[in-house]
Amino acid sequence: MERTKASEPSKVEIPMAPMIDIVFQLLIFFMLNLKMIAPEGDFNVNLPLSPNPGGDIEPPQIKVSLHSDRDGNLTQLTIGNNNLGNDNAAFERLNQEILKIIGRPGNPLTKDVEVELDADYECQYKYVVKAISSCTGRLDRQTNQVARYVEKIKFAPAHHPKG
Amino acid sequence: MKPRKIEMGFQEPDMTPMIDIVFQLLTFFMIAINFENTKADERVKLPKDMLAKPPDVKPEHELMLNFGYTRDKNGNRVPGIPPKVFYNERLVEIEQLTADLEQEKRVMELIHGKNVVEKVTVTIRADSEVPTGLVQQLIKKCQDNQFTKFSLRATAEEK
Repeated sequence: MERTKASEPSKVEIPMAPMIDIVFQLLIFFMLNLKMIAPEGDFNVNLPLSPNPGGDIEPPQIKVSLHSDRDGNLTQLTIGNNNLGNDNAAFERLNQEILKIIGRPGNPLTKDVEVELDADYECQYKYVVKAISSCTGRLDRQTNQVARYVEKIKFAPAHHPKG
Repeated sequence: MKPRKIEMGFQEPDMTPMIDIVFQLLTFFMIAINFENTKADERVKLPKDMLAKPPDVKPEHELMLNFGYTRDKNGNRVPGIPPKVFYNERLVEIEQLTADLEQEKRVMELIHGKNVVEKVTVTIRADSEVPTGLVQQLIKKCQDNQFTKFSLRATAEEK
């Protein structure tokens, strides 16, 4: 029996070019599907179908009103009976008023405090979001932590349009 | 003097570093790509707020509604057109949204069982300039279809 000379293991040439083509295809797919979006956050609002199913005891309520002109620009921001103005500082003042009411952030005694937002029909949505943000808490710049003030926010029944 | 024959050999450039760069690019795009926010319509210019941080826990069941204006290519509102809900490649007025909301509810009930609608969070992505009354109307429309949990979206603002 002739033993065939065991040939040296021949080098198996793997064709690299098609593999690189597939890599390019993948790259183009991901490049075309990439969408840069700014991070978005949520504000939760409490809007139960039935008003206060708990019973007779209503949690303490803070009434915040937003008045606007026909174009939706803010003309007045009020908390209870206090007028806070209509500029950016008005929302700062709202933030401070809320803090005064709850005492300190995270105060368990005021956990059930509810803010009722009453906005004019035309009032631009961004003012309402600012109001919700001012009631929800405060961002500490140094630690980047959010100190939460009020957890429960709800809307008053909608107004009719002015015009 | 015999002129020396100059060897003109073409050296093939080594492709390995170039392929390495391609792999780096590919890895970057694979990590950067975000498949989650496909429902976030770019036409809606959300209000900006510092407190709007992405939630730590995503809601278990979510219905995302995009509500905004049609804008031209400069980002200015096209005058005279009221804001509408951008729903599945269509522009739907709030009053006509009932059928679509019922469909969403049916689909969710089919997949997740009855009473899932109590756990669904309706995430409203509304343009910052829409009248609040319309947002309240939209919320009321959803409430008429038994949705009870709502969440308003804003862009995280960097000061």
